[in-house]
Amino acid sequence: MMDNFPLYVVLVSFFGMFGIFAAHRRPNVREAVTVVVALAKFGLVASMVPGVLAGKTYVFSAGEFVAGIEFVLRADPLGTLFASLASLLWIVTSFYSIGYMRGLDEHSQTRYFASFAASLSATMGIAFAGNLVTIFVFYELLSIATYPLVAHDGTDEARSAGRKYLAYTMFGGGVLVLAGTVLVFFLAGTVTFTPGGIEGLADVANSNESAVQLAYLLLAVGFGVKAGLMPLHQWLPTAMVAPTPVSGLLHAVAVVKSGAFGVARVTLYVFGPEVAYRIGMGVAISTLAAFTLLAASFIALRKDHLKQRLAYSTVSQLSYIVLGLGIFGPYGLIGALLHIPAHAFMKLTLFFCAGAAHVETHTDHISEMAGIGKRMPVVFGAFALAAAGMAGIPLFAGFVSKYYMLIGAAEMGTFAPVGYYLAGALLVSGVLNIAYFWPVVYTAFFEAEDDHDAKPLVDHRPGGERRSTLAVTDGGDPGDEDADADIGPTDLRPDFSGSGSPGERRDYSEPAPLVEGKYAVDANPSDHTTPEEDTRDGGEDRDEARNGSEGRNGAEAHTAAEEADTAHEMDDYDAHHEGPPPGGWRRLSAAEAFRGEETTWFMLGPILVAVTGAVLVGIIPYELGFLELIELIVEGVLSGTEVPA
Amino acid sequence: MIESVPPFVYVALAAVAVAFLPRFAGHAVAALATATIGVQALLLSNGTYLETRFLGFDVVFLNVDDPARLVAVAVATLATAAVVYAHETEAPRVMTAFAMSYVAGTAGLVFAGDWLSMIFFWELMAVTSTLLVWHHGGAAVRAGYRYALYHGTGGSILLAAVVVHFVSEGSFRYAASGIADVAAPLAAIGIGINCGFIFLHSWLPDTYPRPHVAASVFLSVFTTKTAAYVMYRAFPDGGMWLAYLGGSMAVYGAFFALLQYDPRRLLSYHIQAQVGYILAGIGIGTEVAVAGGLAHLFNNILYKALLFMAVGVVVYRTGEQNIKKMGGLWKVMPLTFLAYLLGAASITAVPGTNGFVSKGMILDEAHHVHNVELGLAGTALYGDVLWWLLILGAIGTFMSFIKLGYYIFFHGESTLQPADATPGQTVAMLAVGGFCLLYGLAPGLLFELLPFSDTLVAELHPYSTGHLTEGVVLLVVGFAAFFGLKGPITRLAWLPDVDRVVFPAGFYLNRGLTWGVTELWAAVDRAVMAGAGASMRVGGDPGRYAYRTAERLPGVDVDELPAGDGAETVRLRASSSASVFLLTLALLVGLTVLVLL
Repeated sequence: MMDNFPLYVVLVSFFGMFGIFAAHRRPNVREAVTVVVALAKFGLVASMVPGVLAGKTYVFSAGEFVAGIEFVLRADPLGTLFASLASLLWIVTSFYSIGYMRGLDEHSQTRYFASFAASLSATMGIAFAGNLVTIFVFYELLSIATYPLVAHDGTDEARSAGRKYLAYTMFGGGVLVLAGTVLVFFLAGTVTFTPGGIEGLADVANSNESAVQLAYLLLAVGFGVKAGLMPLHQWLPTAMVAPTPVSGLLHAVAVVKSGAFGVARVTLYVFGPEVAYRIGMGVAISTLAAFTLLAASFIALRKDHLKQRLAYSTVSQLSYIVLGLGIFGPYGLIGALLHIPAHAFMKLTLFFCAGAAHVETHTDHISEMAGIGKRMPVVFGAFALAAAGMAGIPLFAGFVSKYYMLIGAAEMGTFAPVGYYLAGALLVSGVLNIAYFWPVVYTAFFEAEDDHDAKPLVDHRPGGERRSTLAVTDGGDPGDEDADADIGPTDLRPDFSGSGSPGERRDYSEPAPLVEGKYAVDANPSDHTTPEEDTRDGGEDRDEARNGSEGRNGAEAHTAAEEADTAHEMDDYDAHHEGPPPGGWRRLSAAEAFRGEETTWFMLGPILVAVTGAVLVGIIPYELGFLELIELIVEGVLSGTEVPA
Repeated sequence: MIESVPPFVYVALAAVAVAFLPRFAGHAVAALATATIGVQALLLSNGTYLETRFLGFDVVFLNVDDPARLVAVAVATLATAAVVYAHETEAPRVMTAFAMSYVAGTAGLVFAGDWLSMIFFWELMAVTSTLLVWHHGGAAVRAGYRYALYHGTGGSILLAAVVVHFVSEGSFRYAASGIADVAAPLAAIGIGINCGFIFLHSWLPDTYPRPHVAASVFLSVFTTKTAAYVMYRAFPDGGMWLAYLGGSMAVYGAFFALLQYDPRRLLSYHIQAQVGYILAGIGIGTEVAVAGGLAHLFNNILYKALLFMAVGVVVYRTGEQNIKKMGGLWKVMPLTFLAYLLGAASITAVPGTNGFVSKGMILDEAHHVHNVELGLAGTALYGDVLWWLLILGAIGTFMSFIKLGYYIFFHGESTLQPADATPGQTVAMLAVGGFCLLYGLAPGLLFELLPFSDTLVAELHPYSTGHLTEGVVLLVVGFAAFFGLKGPITRLAWLPDVDRVVFPAGFYLNRGLTWGVTELWAAVDRAVMAGAGASMRVGGDPGRYAYRTAERLPGVDVDELPAGDGAETVRLRASSSASVFLLTLALLVGLTVLVLL
């Protein structure tokens, strides 16, 4: 009877999607459907866990699907690990989504929740897929299902991000996976996942090594695209335009982990760790991952936008998993697989916190966050804990998985020196994590709004530059020349005297010159609709925006009245302004913090659950079932394999 | 009961209590918890240990033996005094909570019985002490960040050592022979960062002068001294490299201390010098030397914190961080002066203080080392280079404490008229000072706590004529040297330490790497986008590009491009997605080629 459960797990949120569409007129019912479906899905997965731990595998087969290959869903330990994690965190994320989407009053919420349900369906399919063809189908479905979420904003930027996302994961990754699948089928005659690797493939590896190498590379890189393996990671930071819960669950857990999960399937269940190691490709992919995790950490150091920094941290952390899978030996594999839940809890916390700050204060940039810990103590406290976990500090999940991987790498070092380099990369990355997460933590809690280090630290002089984010009466930032100080009121006001600055020689009594047959103001209507966005967007965007607005100023199509308007609006502090309100952040009292007044419980609750998960995985991974499940997986795939000593 | 509760548990709970209880009650609970560590340590007998399964490995969270008990007693004594001091110095509750969590990490580390729990608490100490530094805000924040980076690096290297040890030995338990040989260099550097090895010490004088004065008291003792303790766990048999390194640290630290005018910065350099003595004792490796090193560790916790307290009171009362601007304070702050005197006498090893006993043990043993000999043969001035280093360090210590005391408490008339230490501060300081005297006057009490105590009691005579002469000679030389060399010392104050090079080098290296990686990546991305764009253009109009190419080929004669191309011309339109796929494939092929080569 329970053999059909994997199918139900996939279908429950697929049908849930229709329920969500049906309830589109009644948001409360719609969200209730999401939550019920999420609970049902997790319940179904959880009901299989005891059986799986006892050594059972639930298999559903829909019969032959393409030439000689069945459409199989089977709940084995690895699939159950991923499915239980993703479905558990979907519940948490659903609540958070409610708080986030309503807090921002987002459009198209029905589409959003429906796509979310569909994505989770596809994720479960990936988790339970029994062979390469089935996983390929769901892998592509997942790319399609998440497209509406990435492009949710509907802006040009979001749509472009969506296109990039599809191009990389569907056409880039998917096609490679398909090619690899065909090659494996051609070489071994089957593509069914087998613990320890498909038997025939080991023999082929002896006779035709390069073909097997190519097959491994195609599959590993194909899945690696979703796991953000460099140089194919570029879609991930771009996809951060999506709403934060999407970045949280999909771009830190479900989608990117499905890439890492795919690499795990390929390494452990298609080729087997021994073959992967023998043909040298496991190590090659690990090396690529080691490069990725270091390079991504360096890029993260320079990102001022918090979500961007988190995105590069994700790229880096996913490479931990991929790296660990290439380490031949039990400890490395345990570490890699344990990093899947460990990173999930920590990164979800981090994204949730970034999202909460965005909803409550519209603050996205680290340079604007000095002292924000006063206003959001619990949120940034959770952020600090999860960040410590990312850096591999004990008490948190990241330490345990990193520790296992280090042992695995050192063990591998005794027979293959590359192991030591991999361990070194992990350690250096730990220090880099401190380097890029600690400034967020200390600026939130220990720096003052009117006296803090300019961020990102590497872009300013050694020892730091003092800055203030407090708005003064003219609405500008005194020390922050980058922000808007160079557009003074005199620059904004056209010079009618005729003897003004040399750049302003136009006669304003004449109509503005036509640009391509139109007035520039018509070509750029945003000029007078959202003047704030241009000057206050911060970071890299800020520079572009400023250059853009200067360019338009050059075309000079504003009337004097409009200019006065703009100046007026700049004085007028409005809620979309990043950074602290004019008087600095309000300090919440302890009682207010306990009552959760910094944001809604819809967001605070999920944050607390996720961070608790991160701590628990760091202290009692075995009792939570994760470590037990992982030991079962590793036992299964390594049985009969001799690890050289 | 007391055998099953590791001390870090209740200290951590006390840390939470301090944050939420009213100020006095919270500090009382905290002081009680820290005092309990010492009581528990004294009550538990050697060999107690509590084995647990943690994170899938066997670990020992409570392991009692002589060194652990010794350090625990010192930590407990000092932490209790420091909590009282913090309460009296208007430390915010949250700051004391951070300090208590730092003490909890220390307590866990001291009683750890294996390398896994050791590194676990080691990293926790690094994080909690960073919070303690940060809490003060202002200039302490960036210094705390540098501190965190230093300790993150050190922790990572030590973690590597632990992992290599596990792979080689198959167990995390402390072994009698210390850490596995293959892991020894990693362990030495990892622990060395926390010990303040020369050139790895820049974090020390950088961080400790900046936080709250009460925070400095906590910071000054736990990180460096537990590092020396862990060094003993890693190298219980010592090693001459460690002894000579310790000797050099004593000289280096004392020399730079002599040049400082910020009182807490001066004391920070002395942490390096004093840890040098401890390491010299551990490094020499004989029973007496190791016992001497550990005894010095114990005493150092007491008097170094006492000095930080006394100087802290001066800073707290005057708000001044430059000793040149102080002077004549002994009249207005007699209690603080007394506390300073006790601490300075102990650290400079004046007879009658605890420092005299333990430093004497180390110097004696150094006298017996005969590697590189130097001096007048047949006289007391004949000894090994190691002995000379330690003697030189001792003179430097005398000079710098004479300097510190002279500038703060004498040095002309007092221009500042601050109040003296509060009663609570006085109690804390004089209690610690009392212990310094107690262990100095009754060294038997100290020997009881040390390893090999039977041998020590039988063999050691700290107040022999030789020792006393040595002490007096050092004192006289110290005074003479300071007042004789006062001018040159003042003129040398510009001399930079390695941090002048290390900090910018680290920063610009990091910036170079970061900018390099980001710009390189941006270039790759631009190339990819340009390539994608180009392939889209080619794909959009393949015919024209084919003609263009054909035209340029020599020897090929092509007709003009047919104009008005319409229905007849088949146009391949490759989507952007396909272009990206092509590029992906190209990259993959490149990768394959690289790998196969």
